[in-house]
Amino acid sequence: MYGLEAIAHNNGWTIAVTGACIVFAGLSALSFVISQLHKLVALLDRPPKPILEVVVEPKPEVRARPDCPSDLHLTLTLYQPLIDELEPEFELAELYALARKYHLPHPHLSIRCLRDAGKLEPLGDGIFRFSA
Amino acid sequence: MDLILQFLHNTGFYLADYRNLIMIVVGSFFVYLAIHKNYEPLLLLPIGFGIILGNIPFFKGFGIGIYEPNSVLHYLYFGVTSGVYPSIIFLGLGAMTDFSFLLGNPKLMLLGAAAQMGIFFTYLCALGLGFTAQEASSIGIIGGADGPTSIFLTAKLAPHLIGPIAIAAYSYMALIPIIQPPIMLLLTSKKERLIRMPDMREVSRKEIIIFPVVGMVLCTFLAPASIPLLGPFFFGNILKESGVVDRLANTARTAIIDTATILVGLTVGASTQGDVFLNPKSVGIFALGAVAFSIATASGILFAKFMNLFLKQKINPLLGAAGVSAVPGSAREVHMMGQKTDPTNFLLMHAVACNSSGVIGSAVCAGILWSFLIG
Repeated sequence: MYGLEAIAHNNGWTIAVTGACIVFAGLSALSFVISQLHKLVALLDRPPKPILEVVVEPKPEVRARPDCPSDLHLTLTLYQPLIDELEPEFELAELYALARKYHLPHPHLSIRCLRDAGKLEPLGDGIFRFSA
Repeated sequence: MDLILQFLHNTGFYLADYRNLIMIVVGSFFVYLAIHKNYEPLLLLPIGFGIILGNIPFFKGFGIGIYEPNSVLHYLYFGVTSGVYPSIIFLGLGAMTDFSFLLGNPKLMLLGAAAQMGIFFTYLCALGLGFTAQEASSIGIIGGADGPTSIFLTAKLAPHLIGPIAIAAYSYMALIPIIQPPIMLLLTSKKERLIRMPDMREVSRKEIIIFPVVGMVLCTFLAPASIPLLGPFFFGNILKESGVVDRLANTARTAIIDTATILVGLTVGASTQGDVFLNPKSVGIFALGAVAFSIATASGILFAKFMNLFLKQKINPLLGAAGVSAVPGSAREVHMMGQKTDPTNFLLMHAVACNSSGVIGSAVCAGILWSFLIG
Protein backbone atom coordinates (compact mmCIF):
# COMPACT_ATOMS: atom_id res chain seq x y z
CA MET A 1 0.00 0.00 0.00
CA TYR A 2 1.40 3.38 -1.00
CA GLY A 3 0.56 7.06 -1.09
CA LEU A 4 -2.31 8.74 0.69
CA GLU A 5 -4.03 5.41 1.10
CA ALA A 6 -1.10 4.09 3.14
CA ILE A 7 -1.04 7.24 5.25
CA ALA A 8 -4.74 7.03 5.99
CA HIS A 9 -4.55 3.29 6.67
CA ASN A 10 -1.86 3.83 9.34
CA ASN A 11 -3.66 6.79 10.96
CA GLY A 12 -0.76 8.85 9.67
CA TRP A 13 -2.57 12.18 9.57
CA THR A 14 -3.88 11.80 13.10
CA ILE A 15 -0.55 10.72 14.53
CA ALA A 16 1.39 13.46 12.74
CA VAL A 17 -1.00 16.28 13.65
CA THR A 18 -1.50 15.10 17.23
CA GLY A 19 2.21 14.53 17.72
CA ALA A 20 3.11 17.95 16.36
CA CYS A 21 0.48 19.61 18.56
CA ILE A 22 1.68 17.78 21.67
CA VAL A 23 5.31 18.76 21.06
CA PHE A 24 4.32 22.36 20.45
CA ALA A 25 2.03 22.52 23.44
CA GLY A 26 4.62 20.86 25.68
CA LEU A 27 7.49 23.12 24.71
CA SER A 28 5.24 26.19 24.81
CA ALA A 29 4.21 25.27 28.35
CA LEU A 30 7.84 24.73 29.32
CA SER A 31 8.73 28.05 27.71
CA PHE A 32 6.02 29.79 29.73
CA VAL A 33 7.11 28.13 32.95
CA ILE A 34 10.74 29.10 32.52
CA SER A 35 9.75 32.64 31.59
CA GLN A 36 8.09 32.88 35.01
CA LEU A 37 10.84 31.06 36.86
CA HIS A 38 12.75 34.21 37.75
CA LYS A 39 9.63 35.60 39.43
CA LEU A 40 9.34 32.47 41.55
CA VAL A 41 13.00 32.71 42.45
CA ALA A 42 12.59 36.38 43.33
CA LEU A 43 9.70 35.39 45.59
CA LEU A 44 11.87 32.79 47.32
CA ASP A 45 14.74 35.23 47.57
CA ARG A 46 12.68 37.94 49.27
CA PRO A 47 14.40 38.64 52.59
CA PRO A 48 12.32 37.69 55.63
CA LYS A 49 10.49 40.57 57.23
CA PRO A 50 12.42 41.79 60.25
CA ILE A 51 10.47 41.21 63.42
CA LEU A 52 10.02 44.64 64.86
CA GLU A 53 9.69 44.90 68.58
CA VAL A 54 7.37 47.67 69.51
CA VAL A 55 9.05 49.37 72.33
CA VAL A 56 6.51 51.25 74.34
CA GLU A 57 8.22 54.23 75.75
CA PRO A 58 6.86 55.34 79.03
CA LYS A 59 4.91 58.48 78.52
CA PRO A 60 6.31 61.43 80.35
CA GLU A 61 4.29 62.04 83.40
CA VAL A 62 2.28 65.13 82.86
CA ARG A 63 1.27 66.82 85.95
CA ALA A 64 -2.32 67.60 86.04
CA ARG A 65 -2.73 71.26 86.03
CA PRO A 66 -5.80 73.09 87.16
CA ASP A 67 -7.77 73.62 84.04
CA CYS A 68 -10.23 76.36 84.58
CA PRO A 69 -9.53 79.63 82.68
CA SER A 70 -12.69 81.22 84.10
CA ASP A 71 -11.34 80.95 87.64
CA LEU A 72 -9.60 84.32 88.05
CA HIS A 73 -7.75 83.41 91.20
CA LEU A 74 -6.37 80.26 89.76
CA THR A 75 -5.44 82.00 86.52
CA LEU A 76 -3.66 84.72 88.41
CA THR A 77 -1.74 82.15 90.43
CA LEU A 78 -0.61 80.50 87.19
CA TYR A 79 0.19 83.66 85.24
CA GLN A 80 1.80 85.74 87.99
CA PRO A 81 5.23 84.13 87.54
CA LEU A 82 5.02 84.76 83.82
CA ILE A 83 4.11 88.39 84.23
CA ASP A 84 6.98 88.74 86.68
CA GLU A 85 9.26 87.36 84.04
CA LEU A 86 8.21 90.05 81.55
CA GLU A 87 9.01 93.75 81.47
CA PRO A 88 6.50 95.94 83.36
CA GLU A 89 5.00 96.88 80.03
CA PHE A 90 4.58 94.11 77.52
CA GLU A 91 2.66 92.93 74.53
CA LEU A 92 0.01 90.24 74.91
CA ALA A 93 1.84 88.19 72.32
CA GLU A 94 4.83 87.99 74.69
CA LEU A 95 2.64 86.73 77.50
CA TYR A 96 1.01 84.24 75.15
CA ALA A 97 4.41 82.97 74.02
CA LEU A 98 5.48 82.41 77.62
CA ALA A 99 2.21 80.61 78.39
CA ARG A 100 2.83 78.26 75.44
CA LYS A 101 6.41 77.76 76.55
CA TYR A 102 5.34 76.57 79.97
CA HIS A 103 2.48 74.51 78.58
CA LEU A 104 -0.18 76.38 80.45
CA PRO A 105 -3.68 75.34 79.45
CA HIS A 106 -5.91 77.52 77.32
CA PRO A 107 -3.66 80.57 77.02
CA HIS A 108 -6.11 82.51 74.85
CA LEU A 109 -8.99 82.06 77.24
CA SER A 110 -6.85 82.69 80.29
CA ILE A 111 -5.41 85.97 78.92
CA ARG A 112 -8.90 87.07 77.96
CA CYS A 113 -10.08 86.25 81.50
CA LEU A 114 -7.29 88.44 82.89
CA ARG A 115 -8.19 91.28 80.53
CA ASP A 116 -11.87 91.08 81.34
CA ALA A 117 -11.06 91.20 85.02
CA GLY A 118 -9.00 94.36 84.42
CA LYS A 119 -5.80 92.69 85.53
CA LEU A 120 -4.17 93.59 82.21
CA GLU A 121 -4.40 97.26 81.64
CA PRO A 122 -4.09 98.52 78.03
CA LEU A 123 -1.63 101.34 77.47
CA GLY A 124 -2.31 101.74 73.76
CA ASP A 125 -0.47 100.47 70.71
CA GLY A 126 -0.94 96.87 71.94
CA ILE A 127 1.07 97.44 75.09
CA PHE A 128 -0.24 96.20 78.45
CA ARG A 129 0.72 96.40 82.03
CA PHE A 130 -0.25 94.20 84.97
CA SER A 131 -2.50 95.80 87.46
CA ALA A 132 -2.55 94.08 90.84
CA MET B 1 46.99 -29.17 0.76
CA ASP B 2 43.34 -29.52 1.77
CA LEU B 3 44.13 -27.66 4.93
CA ILE B 4 45.65 -24.80 2.98
CA LEU B 5 42.72 -24.73 0.58
CA GLN B 6 40.30 -24.78 3.49
CA PHE B 7 42.18 -21.91 5.08
CA LEU B 8 42.12 -19.94 1.82
CA HIS B 9 38.38 -20.56 1.49
CA ASN B 10 37.92 -19.04 4.93
CA THR B 11 39.87 -15.87 4.21
CA GLY B 12 38.26 -12.55 3.44
CA PHE B 13 39.79 -12.56 -0.01
CA TYR B 14 37.76 -15.61 -0.96
CA LEU B 15 34.58 -14.68 0.90
CA ALA B 16 34.49 -11.07 -0.23
CA ASP B 17 31.26 -9.89 -1.75
CA TYR B 18 30.99 -6.79 -3.95
CA ARG B 19 28.65 -5.29 -1.32
CA ASN B 20 31.34 -5.62 1.32
CA LEU B 21 33.76 -3.85 -0.96
CA ILE B 22 31.32 -1.02 -1.61
CA MET B 23 30.80 -0.56 2.10
CA ILE B 24 34.56 -0.61 2.76
CA VAL B 25 34.90 2.21 0.25
CA VAL B 26 32.07 4.10 2.01
CA GLY B 27 33.72 3.55 5.39
CA SER B 28 37.06 4.75 4.03
CA PHE B 29 35.33 7.85 2.69
CA PHE B 30 33.91 8.57 6.15
CA VAL B 31 37.36 8.18 7.67
CA TYR B 32 38.72 10.53 5.02
CA LEU B 33 36.01 13.12 5.76
CA ALA B 34 36.71 12.90 9.49
CA ILE B 35 40.49 13.16 9.29
CA HIS B 36 41.12 15.26 6.22
CA LYS B 37 38.02 17.49 6.12
CA ASN B 38 37.48 17.50 9.88
CA TYR B 39 33.73 16.87 9.42
CA GLU B 40 32.39 15.82 12.84
CA PRO B 41 35.43 13.59 13.48
CA LEU B 42 34.09 12.46 16.84
CA LEU B 43 31.26 10.69 15.04
CA LEU B 44 32.51 9.95 11.57
CA LEU B 45 35.82 8.41 12.56
CA PRO B 46 34.37 5.65 14.80
CA ILE B 47 31.49 5.06 12.38
CA GLY B 48 33.72 4.99 9.32
CA PHE B 49 36.15 2.61 10.94
CA GLY B 50 33.22 0.52 12.19
CA ILE B 51 31.87 0.26 8.64
CA ILE B 52 35.21 -1.06 7.43
CA LEU B 53 35.38 -3.46 10.39
CA GLY B 54 31.82 -4.73 9.91
CA ASN B 55 32.42 -5.46 6.24
CA ILE B 56 35.46 -7.62 6.57
CA PRO B 57 34.19 -10.90 5.12
CA PHE B 58 34.26 -13.78 7.58
CA PHE B 59 33.22 -17.37 7.84
CA LYS B 60 29.76 -17.38 9.35
CA GLY B 61 29.01 -19.53 12.36
CA PHE B 62 32.23 -18.76 14.26
CA GLY B 63 30.64 -16.10 16.47
CA ILE B 64 32.54 -13.28 14.81
CA GLY B 65 30.00 -11.00 13.15
CA ILE B 66 27.93 -8.42 14.89
CA TYR B 67 24.69 -10.26 14.13
CA GLU B 68 25.98 -13.58 15.44
CA PRO B 69 25.06 -14.45 19.00
CA ASN B 70 27.94 -14.67 21.47
CA SER B 71 30.30 -12.57 19.37
CA VAL B 72 32.12 -9.75 21.09
CA LEU B 73 30.69 -7.22 18.66
CA HIS B 74 27.22 -8.60 19.32
CA TYR B 75 27.62 -7.95 23.04
CA LEU B 76 28.87 -4.45 22.41
CA TYR B 77 26.00 -3.91 19.98
CA PHE B 78 23.57 -4.79 22.76
CA GLY B 79 24.05 -1.26 24.11
CA VAL B 80 22.63 0.03 20.85
CA THR B 81 19.72 -2.38 20.43
CA SER B 82 18.67 -2.01 24.05
CA GLY B 83 18.88 1.80 23.95
CA VAL B 84 21.50 1.91 26.72
CA TYR B 85 24.11 3.91 24.83
CA PRO B 86 21.72 6.70 23.81
CA SER B 87 20.71 7.16 27.46
CA ILE B 88 24.35 7.31 28.53
CA ILE B 89 25.12 9.80 25.76
CA PHE B 90 22.21 11.95 26.92
CA LEU B 91 23.64 11.91 30.45
CA GLY B 92 26.90 13.34 29.16
CA LEU B 93 25.07 15.75 26.89
CA GLY B 94 23.12 17.09 29.85
CA ALA B 95 26.35 17.57 31.78
CA MET B 96 27.67 19.65 28.87
CA THR B 97 24.59 21.76 28.18
CA ASP B 98 24.26 25.30 29.44
CA PHE B 99 20.60 26.25 29.62
CA SER B 100 21.21 29.80 30.80
CA PHE B 101 20.83 31.13 27.24
CA LEU B 102 17.46 29.42 26.91
CA LEU B 103 16.36 30.65 30.33
CA GLY B 104 17.40 34.15 29.34
CA ASN B 105 15.15 34.13 26.28
CA PRO B 106 12.47 31.42 26.71
CA LYS B 107 10.59 32.22 23.53
CA LEU B 108 13.47 30.72 21.55
CA MET B 109 12.22 27.38 22.82
CA LEU B 110 9.37 27.60 20.30
CA LEU B 111 11.91 27.43 17.47
CA GLY B 112 13.10 24.11 18.89
CA ALA B 113 9.50 22.90 18.75
CA ALA B 114 8.96 24.20 15.21
CA ALA B 115 12.04 22.42 13.89
CA GLN B 116 10.53 19.09 14.93
CA MET B 117 7.94 19.42 12.18
CA GLY B 118 10.44 17.77 9.85
CA ILE B 119 9.97 14.59 11.86
CA PHE B 120 6.23 14.41 11.30
CA PHE B 121 6.43 15.50 7.67
CA THR B 122 8.96 12.76 6.93
CA TYR B 123 6.88 10.27 8.88
CA LEU B 124 4.03 10.94 6.45
CA CYS B 125 6.35 10.71 3.44
CA ALA B 126 7.74 7.38 4.63
CA LEU B 127 4.24 6.01 5.16
CA GLY B 128 3.35 7.13 1.66
CA LEU B 129 6.38 5.29 0.28
CA GLY B 130 5.20 2.03 1.79
CA PHE B 131 7.18 1.81 5.03
CA THR B 132 5.33 0.47 8.06
CA ALA B 133 4.28 2.94 10.75
CA GLN B 134 7.13 1.80 13.03
CA GLU B 135 9.70 2.14 10.26
CA ALA B 136 8.28 5.50 9.20
CA SER B 137 8.59 6.85 12.75
CA SER B 138 12.19 5.69 12.96
CA ILE B 139 12.95 7.35 9.63
CA GLY B 140 11.10 10.53 10.57
CA ILE B 141 13.12 10.97 13.75
CA ILE B 142 16.21 11.53 11.58
CA GLY B 143 14.68 15.00 11.09
CA GLY B 144 15.46 15.71 14.75
CA ALA B 145 19.13 15.58 13.69
CA ASP B 146 19.86 13.74 16.88
CA GLY B 147 21.85 10.52 16.50
CA PRO B 148 21.23 9.03 19.95
CA THR B 149 17.49 9.75 19.75
CA SER B 150 17.29 8.17 16.30
CA ILE B 151 19.10 5.07 17.54
CA PHE B 152 16.93 4.88 20.64
CA LEU B 153 13.60 5.08 18.80
CA THR B 154 14.71 2.75 16.03
CA ALA B 155 15.91 0.20 18.58
CA LYS B 156 12.44 0.24 20.10
CA LEU B 157 10.33 0.33 16.95
CA ALA B 158 12.30 -1.00 14.00
CA PRO B 159 15.52 -2.62 15.23
CA HIS B 160 16.25 -4.10 11.80
CA LEU B 161 16.80 -0.53 10.49
CA ILE B 162 19.24 0.66 13.16
CA GLY B 163 22.22 0.52 10.82
CA PRO B 164 20.92 2.66 7.95
CA ILE B 165 19.04 5.07 10.23
CA ALA B 166 21.98 5.64 12.55
CA ILE B 167 24.33 6.10 9.63
CA ALA B 168 21.90 8.50 7.95
CA ALA B 169 21.34 10.50 11.15
CA TYR B 170 25.03 10.85 11.96
CA SER B 171 25.95 11.51 8.35
CA TYR B 172 23.48 14.36 8.06
CA MET B 173 24.67 15.76 11.40
CA ALA B 174 28.18 15.73 9.97
CA LEU B 175 26.97 17.30 6.74
CA ILE B 176 25.32 20.30 8.42
CA PRO B 177 27.81 22.74 6.86
CA ILE B 178 26.67 21.50 3.46
CA ILE B 179 22.93 21.01 3.98
CA GLN B 180 21.85 23.98 6.09
CA PRO B 181 23.46 27.10 4.54
CA PRO B 182 21.64 26.90 1.18
CA ILE B 183 18.28 26.51 2.96
CA MET B 184 19.08 29.46 5.20
CA LEU B 185 20.01 31.63 2.24
CA LEU B 186 16.96 30.55 0.29
CA LEU B 187 14.45 31.33 3.03
CA THR B 188 15.83 34.57 4.47
CA SER B 189 16.49 37.99 3.06
CA LYS B 190 19.67 39.92 3.79
CA LYS B 191 17.65 42.36 5.89
CA GLU B 192 16.38 39.48 8.03
CA ARG B 193 19.85 38.02 8.44
CA LEU B 194 21.06 41.38 9.70
CA ILE B 195 18.61 41.40 12.61
CA ARG B 196 20.46 41.70 15.88
CA MET B 197 19.28 39.87 18.92
CA PRO B 198 18.90 41.82 22.17
CA ASP B 199 21.15 41.13 25.12
CA MET B 200 19.85 38.36 27.29
CA ARG B 201 18.84 39.01 30.83
CA GLU B 202 21.11 37.72 33.52
CA VAL B 203 19.94 34.35 34.80
CA SER B 204 20.33 33.53 38.48
CA ARG B 205 21.98 30.35 39.68
CA LYS B 206 18.78 29.26 41.38
CA GLU B 207 16.89 29.39 38.08
CA ILE B 208 19.58 27.29 36.42
CA ILE B 209 19.36 24.69 39.20
CA ILE B 210 15.54 24.60 39.28
CA PHE B 211 15.22 24.23 35.50
CA PRO B 212 16.38 20.59 35.15
CA VAL B 213 13.81 19.50 37.73
CA VAL B 214 10.97 21.54 36.24
CA GLY B 215 11.94 20.61 32.68
CA MET B 216 12.15 16.90 33.42
CA VAL B 217 8.88 16.78 35.31
CA LEU B 218 6.98 18.70 32.64
CA CYS B 219 8.40 16.86 29.62
CA THR B 220 8.20 13.37 31.06
CA PHE B 221 4.69 13.94 32.39
CA LEU B 222 3.75 14.87 28.83
CA ALA B 223 5.59 12.00 27.16
CA PRO B 224 6.61 9.36 29.73
CA ALA B 225 8.21 7.30 26.97
CA SER B 226 10.93 9.93 26.76
CA ILE B 227 12.10 9.16 30.31
CA PRO B 228 15.07 7.01 29.16
CA LEU B 229 16.43 10.01 27.25
CA LEU B 230 15.29 13.07 29.18
CA GLY B 231 15.83 11.54 32.61
CA PRO B 232 19.60 11.10 32.17
CA PHE B 233 19.76 14.36 30.21
CA PHE B 234 18.34 16.53 32.98
CA PHE B 235 20.17 14.49 35.61
CA GLY B 236 23.45 15.23 33.86
CA ASN B 237 22.51 18.88 33.76
CA ILE B 238 21.76 19.12 37.46
CA LEU B 239 25.06 17.36 38.20
CA LYS B 240 26.75 20.18 36.32
CA GLU B 241 24.73 23.08 37.64
CA SER B 242 24.46 22.06 41.27
CA GLY B 243 28.18 22.69 41.68
CA VAL B 244 28.41 20.18 44.52
CA VAL B 245 29.39 17.11 42.47
CA ASP B 246 31.89 18.52 40.02
CA ARG B 247 33.74 15.22 39.90
CA LEU B 248 30.63 13.34 38.74
CA ALA B 249 29.67 16.04 36.26
CA ASN B 250 33.16 16.04 34.86
CA THR B 251 33.15 12.26 34.48
CA ALA B 252 29.73 12.35 32.78
CA ARG B 253 30.80 14.95 30.24
CA THR B 254 34.17 13.38 29.49
CA ALA B 255 34.86 9.70 30.18
CA ILE B 256 31.27 8.42 30.16
CA ILE B 257 30.03 10.18 27.02
CA ASP B 258 33.30 9.49 25.23
CA THR B 259 33.11 5.78 26.00
CA ALA B 260 29.49 5.60 24.85
CA THR B 261 30.26 7.58 21.69
CA ILE B 262 33.13 5.27 20.79
CA LEU B 263 31.02 2.15 21.31
CA VAL B 264 27.99 3.57 19.49
CA GLY B 265 30.07 4.73 16.55
CA LEU B 266 32.02 1.54 16.21
CA THR B 267 29.10 -0.87 16.60
CA VAL B 268 26.66 1.14 14.47
CA GLY B 269 29.31 1.28 11.79
CA ALA B 270 29.95 -2.45 12.11
CA SER B 271 26.22 -3.13 11.82
CA THR B 272 26.29 -2.00 8.19
CA GLN B 273 27.32 -5.34 6.76
CA GLY B 274 26.95 -5.09 3.01
CA ASP B 275 24.55 -8.01 2.69
CA VAL B 276 22.25 -6.51 5.35
CA PHE B 277 22.75 -2.83 4.63
CA LEU B 278 22.79 -2.48 0.87
CA ASN B 279 19.18 -2.76 -0.16
CA PRO B 280 16.55 -0.42 -1.63
CA LYS B 281 15.18 0.38 1.83
CA SER B 282 18.51 1.85 2.92
CA VAL B 283 18.59 4.06 -0.15
CA GLY B 284 15.03 5.20 0.64
CA ILE B 285 16.02 5.89 4.25
CA PHE B 286 18.96 8.03 3.14
CA ALA B 287 16.76 10.00 0.75
CA LEU B 288 14.06 10.50 3.37
CA GLY B 289 16.68 11.44 5.95
CA ALA B 290 17.81 14.28 3.72
CA VAL B 291 14.18 15.39 3.33
CA ALA B 292 13.64 15.21 7.09
CA PHE B 293 16.71 17.27 7.86
CA SER B 294 15.94 19.88 5.22
CA ILE B 295 12.30 20.24 6.28
CA ALA B 296 13.32 20.52 9.92
CA THR B 297 15.72 23.35 9.07
CA ALA B 298 13.16 25.08 6.88
CA SER B 299 10.30 24.79 9.38
CA GLY B 300 12.43 26.36 12.10
CA ILE B 301 13.33 29.31 9.88
CA LEU B 302 9.76 29.78 8.63
CA PHE B 303 8.37 29.67 12.15
CA ALA B 304 10.84 32.35 13.25
CA LYS B 305 9.57 34.52 10.40
CA PHE B 306 6.01 33.79 11.48
CA MET B 307 6.82 34.84 15.06
CA ASN B 308 8.27 38.08 13.72
CA LEU B 309 4.82 39.03 12.45
CA PHE B 310 3.70 39.42 16.07
CA LEU B 311 6.86 40.38 17.92
CA LYS B 312 8.03 43.93 18.55
CA GLN B 313 11.61 42.81 19.07
CA LYS B 314 12.22 40.72 15.95
CA ILE B 315 14.05 37.41 16.01
CA ASN B 316 16.79 36.70 13.50
CA PRO B 317 15.15 33.90 11.46
CA LEU B 318 18.48 32.16 10.99
CA LEU B 319 18.05 30.98 14.57
CA GLY B 320 15.22 28.73 13.44
CA ALA B 321 17.78 26.54 11.68
CA ALA B 322 19.40 25.88 15.06
CA GLY B 323 16.13 24.40 16.32
CA VAL B 324 17.30 21.01 15.14
CA SER B 325 19.16 19.26 17.90
CA ALA B 326 22.51 18.81 16.19
CA VAL B 327 24.54 20.22 19.07
CA PRO B 328 26.56 22.35 18.56
CA GLY B 329 26.98 22.03 14.78
CA SER B 330 23.82 23.81 13.71
CA ALA B 331 24.33 26.63 16.26
CA ARG B 332 27.81 27.16 14.91
CA GLU B 333 26.50 27.20 11.36
CA VAL B 334 23.84 29.78 12.19
CA HIS B 335 26.43 31.96 13.87
CA MET B 336 28.75 31.72 10.89
CA MET B 337 25.97 32.55 8.47
CA GLY B 338 25.04 35.59 10.57
CA GLN B 339 28.66 36.72 10.60
CA LYS B 340 28.95 36.34 6.86
CA THR B 341 26.18 38.92 6.50
CA ASP B 342 27.37 41.15 9.32
CA PRO B 343 30.70 40.34 10.99
CA THR B 344 29.66 42.22 14.12
CA ASN B 345 26.47 40.22 14.66
CA PHE B 346 26.94 37.50 17.28
CA LEU B 347 24.19 34.89 17.20
CA LEU B 348 26.02 31.98 18.79
CA MET B 349 24.51 32.18 22.29
CA HIS B 350 20.99 32.58 20.95
CA ALA B 351 21.52 29.69 18.55
CA VAL B 352 22.74 27.50 21.40
CA ALA B 353 19.45 28.27 23.19
CA CYS B 354 17.49 26.99 20.17
CA ASN B 355 19.80 24.00 19.94
CA SER B 356 19.23 22.92 23.53
CA SER B 357 15.50 23.34 23.01
CA GLY B 358 15.80 21.14 19.93
CA VAL B 359 17.41 18.37 21.99
CA ILE B 360 14.45 18.40 24.37
CA GLY B 361 11.99 18.64 21.47
CA SER B 362 13.36 15.67 19.54
CA ALA B 363 13.45 13.50 22.68
CA VAL B 364 9.82 14.42 23.39
CA CYS B 365 8.93 13.57 19.77
CA ALA B 366 10.63 10.19 20.14
CA GLY B 367 8.62 9.56 23.30
CA ILE B 368 5.38 10.53 21.60
CA LEU B 369 5.98 8.35 18.54
CA TRP B 370 7.03 5.43 20.71
CA SER B 371 3.92 5.71 22.84
CA PHE B 372 1.69 5.97 19.74
CA LEU B 373 3.18 2.89 18.09
CA ILE B 374 4.28 0.75 20.99
CA GLY B 375 1.34 -1.59 20.47
